[in-house]
Amino acid sequence: MRAALKPLWGRWLARRIPPAASVRLNQRRIFILPSRVGAAFAVALLLMLLVGINYQNSLAYGLTFLLMSVFVVAILHTYRNLAGLVLKAGGGGAVFVGEQARFRVRLESREREHQAVALGWPPNELVLRDVPRLGQAEADLSLPAVRRGWLRPGRLRVESRFPLGLLVAWSWVDLDQALLIYPRPLEGDLPLSVGLGAEDEEEGMRARGRGADDFQGLRDYQPGDSKRRLDWKAYSRGQGLLVKDFAMLSGRDLWLDYDSLGGDSEMRLSLLCHWVLQLSERQQPFGLQLPGQVIAPDQGEGHRDACLRALALFGERP
Amino acid sequence: MSALPGIPRIALTWLLVAQLLVILPHLLHLPLWVIALWLGAAGWRVQIFRMRARYPNGWAKGGLMLVVLAGVLLSRGTLVGLDAAVVLLIATFILKLLEMRTRRDALVLIFLGFFCVVTAYLFEDGIVAALYSLLPVTALLAALVGLQHSGFAERPWPTLRLAGGLLLQALPLMLLLFVFFPRMGPLWSLPMPSDKGVTGLSDSMEPADIAELSRSSALAFRASFEGPVPPRDQLYWRALTLERFDGRRWSQSNYAELPSAPQWRKAGEPLDYSIVMQPSGKPWLFALDVGEVAQNESRMMTDFRWQRRRPVDRPLLYQARSWPQALREADAEPPALRRALQLPEQGDPRSRAWAAELQREHPQAEALVAALLQHFNREPYVYTLRPQPLGRDSIDEFLFDTRRGFCAHYAGAMTFVLRAAGIPARVVTGYQGGELNPGGNYIQVRQFDAHAWVEYWQPEQGWRSVDPTYQVAPQRIELGLEDALGEEDGFLDDQPFSPLRYRELAWLNQLRLGWENLNYGWQRWVLGYQGEQQLKLLHNWFGNLDWQRLALALVGSGTLLIGLLALWLLKPWQQRADPQRQAFRRFERLLARHGVRRQAGEGARAFAERAGRELPAQAPAIQAFARCFEAQRYAGQPASRAALRQALGELRRALPWRLLR
Repeated sequence: MRAALKPLWGRWLARRIPPAASVRLNQRRIFILPSRVGAAFAVALLLMLLVGINYQNSLAYGLTFLLMSVFVVAILHTYRNLAGLVLKAGGGGAVFVGEQARFRVRLESREREHQAVALGWPPNELVLRDVPRLGQAEADLSLPAVRRGWLRPGRLRVESRFPLGLLVAWSWVDLDQALLIYPRPLEGDLPLSVGLGAEDEEEGMRARGRGADDFQGLRDYQPGDSKRRLDWKAYSRGQGLLVKDFAMLSGRDLWLDYDSLGGDSEMRLSLLCHWVLQLSERQQPFGLQLPGQVIAPDQGEGHRDACLRALALFGERP
Repeated sequence: MSALPGIPRIALTWLLVAQLLVILPHLLHLPLWVIALWLGAAGWRVQIFRMRARYPNGWAKGGLMLVVLAGVLLSRGTLVGLDAAVVLLIATFILKLLEMRTRRDALVLIFLGFFCVVTAYLFEDGIVAALYSLLPVTALLAALVGLQHSGFAERPWPTLRLAGGLLLQALPLMLLLFVFFPRMGPLWSLPMPSDKGVTGLSDSMEPADIAELSRSSALAFRASFEGPVPPRDQLYWRALTLERFDGRRWSQSNYAELPSAPQWRKAGEPLDYSIVMQPSGKPWLFALDVGEVAQNESRMMTDFRWQRRRPVDRPLLYQARSWPQALREADAEPPALRRALQLPEQGDPRSRAWAAELQREHPQAEALVAALLQHFNREPYVYTLRPQPLGRDSIDEFLFDTRRGFCAHYAGAMTFVLRAAGIPARVVTGYQGGELNPGGNYIQVRQFDAHAWVEYWQPEQGWRSVDPTYQVAPQRIELGLEDALGEEDGFLDDQPFSPLRYRELAWLNQLRLGWENLNYGWQRWVLGYQGEQQLKLLHNWFGNLDWQRLALALVGSGTLLIGLLALWLLKPWQQRADPQRQAFRRFERLLARHGVRRQAGEGARAFAERAGRELPAQAPAIQAFARCFEAQRYAGQPASRAALRQALGELRRALPWRLLR
């Protein structure tokens, strides 16, 4: 029954609270019901009413009615605590599978203060924030990144039980947020390919390309070389300052090739990811070959991000 | 929020305050060890909070519970019954403090607190108690607010203000519910608190009994008359008759319990009044002779008294109508008369002899009664609260030796002599007089107004009342007990703080009467607002009682109240509309008037470009507005309503003037 209703509910919500980067909570978007504490309160009130009836005691009636009315008034207060609150997507950086994806949500007050607003994605714990009057608050919400590709966290639950905790007012807000999740980097052999469509002119190249250690070529350090590329092991052996150099393949571009790897596609992507990171760190220009997609050799942040993005979205519909 | 978060400091503080406030009024009827228990538990809890003590383990908790059970058993003698139950409830309320670890425990404690406040009403339900109970309720609500994890809830005064505000805002709705919520009878009968001190008449009378009552200034009942209040000396409030005499004690005859109404004939003008009776723990009601009482479950008994099925154990309001000149049982049957002639076989020989003598002198009953009254008037009888103790032949000793007595002495002696002289007679007990409260135009009758008088029977005249005390101390009847006793006797000697003692201070007396007035209103309109009283009031307001209409009225006015409160709380008129969107809408309307309508999904820039093409002369103004709008809305430039308005104004001036269609 519940499962059958779920898509219906989702469609209804989508119509009522369409995805947007900034959502203001109003009466169309806030739902309110008694909480479990409220139910217990109602039971206590019933017992008090029984005392009033059985002892014909007007004051017992009176206090029961007073607390009943407090309950009713609390509906308005609980609703008010959410009403008018503006939620804005605050972005967040891409992460790798296995890390925590962090979404930033900004809460803005346009009229009044909002106390103890809880937000998050339900199986996870909600985060509590107070929003000062005409001010704002930020919340970093994290979700585990379990799958590469776009992580769409779905509707964000915003709820408040303030002031009495007897009622819970909530809304499901879609801030249209998505984070790119890169594959989990996996250390392994360097997946080299000689070049796109080029005939193998240098036969030994691929064999020498097996394994990172074998690959290292060394040359003398020159000022301006990245310190990260210094070969400290060689230095400790007294060989002087040497720089790990991939430039022995200079003249030819370095290509990371999906097809040169074995294993399933996720593993291949993970290996490629590792090397994209490694090579970028070493400021080594490289190209990336994926089935149906080629990124020309280049270096720098933008190139790295483009490659990671291609890896993350590999096989997904655009 | 399924985890069990701890209890914030502020909530704990408010809980401790609330607990103290909840327990305080209970101390009037709780054994004293409860205070020690609370102090110990509160101290322990604070030490736990300061990490200097640990939560009690299972053994300690069990031990404490056993100690509490033993305490209840020792101080109440039982573990069942309302009084023991309340002690147990309060003790549980206190001990729960010690095992309160999580938010859920704190909630249990708070709800228990509300319940304890309600149980306090069973023992005390005056105005003061009602107003006082707002304090613990506010503190409990503040603790509930303090349980919320918000920066706001960490500050003591804002939480208190919020709790108080919630209560205030709830008040109108509460009044509405109080007036309209249908009252029903008890679903099952429950024991009443036995500590509630009930004083009042009993169903038997030894001469000293009523004197005992007259030491109490406790209220017996209040009566408001619909017409003018009759003079004091006609206010004989009948409770019951005592027909059996055992030589010392007058008591009710078993026959009086039979529910066969006596016959009587209405005569003269009736008196209409309503009575609010204090709990007496006895089933009989008070009325002037001969009264008709409009009360469910109550009826007139053979001796003209009114009796209810259940004892009056809470304030009771009823309407009554009396015919003071009614003819009562003009043709009584012999068995009834025989009961009114019963005397012990032996004892009081002097009185019997005197009665025989009187009978010889006055063969007419009326003359005999007159002679008897004259005797009390002429001979040196004294009206006093402190009569000498009497021996075996109590009537003889009183009539011929001590001659000092209270109304019970005179009524008992007179009845004895009448019976001995062959005239059916009986003692009537009840109250006489009362204090007129000028502010509210009602009579307040207190326990010290308790009185006993005599009624005798004659053929064709039926029962007639006569009051021997009047002959001895007419002030008692005309002015009241205090004046009758004068300086000599201790009126309310053992109640030094009773405001009744200071009646000569005018302002204090004014204050006291005003307070009584307030209390009376409280009783009539709040405490007595049950069943019939509610129906009557609602009937007055809404005419014919129709539950559908009442429910409609309740729902309607409730919705109205909540709506008003919502308007006040949410202030929707203050919600600032989006000024940029408003300006853009005006821009759209302006262009629409000139035939350029924005299409669905057309963005601001595209629309402006198209409009510029269609109205080339105004294109710069149109573009200027669109740029300004875009800059504010999408490029993060500071929002300025004035800039938008200015751009719109320029566009309007640039457009040719057009008649509105």
